[in-house]
Amino acid sequence: MERNIYGYHCRECDTLHYPFRMRCKGCGQNDFFEFDSVALPTHGRLLTFTFVHNLPAEYEVARLGLGVVELDNGIRMLGQLDIADPVMGMEVEGRVGVVRRETYDDFHGMVFTAA
Amino acid sequence: MRDVFVAGIGITSFGRLEYPLAEIAAYPAMMAMQDSGVSSVDQVYVANMGGARLNHQTALASAVVDTLSLTPAGAATIENGPASGAAAIKEGFLAVASGMHDVVLVTGAERMREVNALDATDFVATLTHPIAEYIYGVTLPAHAAMFTRLYMDKYGVTERHLAMVGVKNQNNAMRNEFAHLQQPITIDGVLDSPEAFTNNPFVAEPLRFFDCCPVSDGGACIMLVSADVMKGLDRPAVRLAGVGQATDSHTVAEREDPTELPAVRLAAAQSFGMAGVEPQDVDVAELHDAFTILEIAESEEVGFFAKGEGHLALEKGETELGGVMPINVSGGLKGRGHPVGATGIAQAYEIVHQLRGEAGDRQVADARIGFTCNFGGFGNNVLALTFVREG
Repeated sequence: MERNIYGYHCRECDTLHYPFRMRCKGCGQNDFFEFDSVALPTHGRLLTFTFVHNLPAEYEVARLGLGVVELDNGIRMLGQLDIADPVMGMEVEGRVGVVRRETYDDFHGMVFTAA
Repeated sequence: MRDVFVAGIGITSFGRLEYPLAEIAAYPAMMAMQDSGVSSVDQVYVANMGGARLNHQTALASAVVDTLSLTPAGAATIENGPASGAAAIKEGFLAVASGMHDVVLVTGAERMREVNALDATDFVATLTHPIAEYIYGVTLPAHAAMFTRLYMDKYGVTERHLAMVGVKNQNNAMRNEFAHLQQPITIDGVLDSPEAFTNNPFVAEPLRFFDCCPVSDGGACIMLVSADVMKGLDRPAVRLAGVGQATDSHTVAEREDPTELPAVRLAAAQSFGMAGVEPQDVDVAELHDAFTILEIAESEEVGFFAKGEGHLALEKGETELGGVMPINVSGGLKGRGHPVGATGIAQAYEIVHQLRGEAGDRQVADARIGFTCNFGGFGNNVLALTFVREG
């Protein structure tokens, strides 16, 4: 099954939201059925990053790469990094993968590698 | 609106407390009643973030009001993340200012050390966006770290500046008998010596252990009263003169300029505007230094220093006790500790203590105007309070 991360496009004013908003932050229209779901682009630029060492117990790694990426359409999102030596401004490519495992659930999100 | 005064204050020791959450909230409230001499209370607000999740205690205010034998006074719990404390103060302010109540206890408590440190960090991370942030394993230190990297890149802030904040605040805590950390540190020990890397490992790169506040248990309380009640009391009159609050996007990544904290700027401007003072009039401030970078960034956003120059003021010693703009002389969150629901009230406790001139060897000379910034989320829910000594 192909998995995507979706943005929410306002039919009234074209504002694109990620994550979901119930009201448009551009025009304030009050009907959330006026949003179209659109798959977000996967290519972008790394704005900032960190490696987290004090992780929640379910992560079985010594440190976890996280970064904020500006996608090609201007949406900024947090994602995990599968990049050994990230640099601010580098080009990255995202794919949807498992980002957190809990007892009964796997959670999917964007994992970025060097483009 | 009616004027609102702080008639009494109370605080517990911060650190590891071995008594129940409701008692951690009730004890400083009892101190505040002793301090003011007022024990007829109309309303109790209890600030707490994690009782349900960490301590198996819901409806905390009902437990607290009964522990204090104050029934049938009104009581409500305020949960607003790490800004629960000042949010509860705002509710107390509104209750007295509106004329509905004359005496309101605003107490806050957290008992975080009942769980291990990783669980405590994960608990705080539940305030992040559930789908766009939390599932990625983000922690508050991680948000602060990504913010720090941008700040370093844009303004030339270095690891040394961060260490200077940590050393200043943790050493300030040595003058505060209630502070969690009672151990002096040096720049050499956390940054320069060969042992520094072992002493001070990364938590979320580039932030290290001594850039982060500890996980603390603790409680603090202030009693808010009307002018009529204050008139009859033999306590120095400190007025809660300005209350500001602003919010920002839930996800940090979405913000237009990721090096700015607009909710801090807006909340501070509201608070100063209501009090009729300028940032430069402030004699003593408590800023929310959960991470060392936040003291620098907030000191700029609230208007003490120009944007990008907070670390320069720090270098010059302006934010030390005895400097022109002393910040976190109590030790701040870094040294006093950060029991999340209590922090906003512990900040107010310190400011009232200072404005009364009762702060002993950490007293800021002639302090008449004080300010607190209580920072919730990663800057998505911020309160700013201005206090003025009257008479």
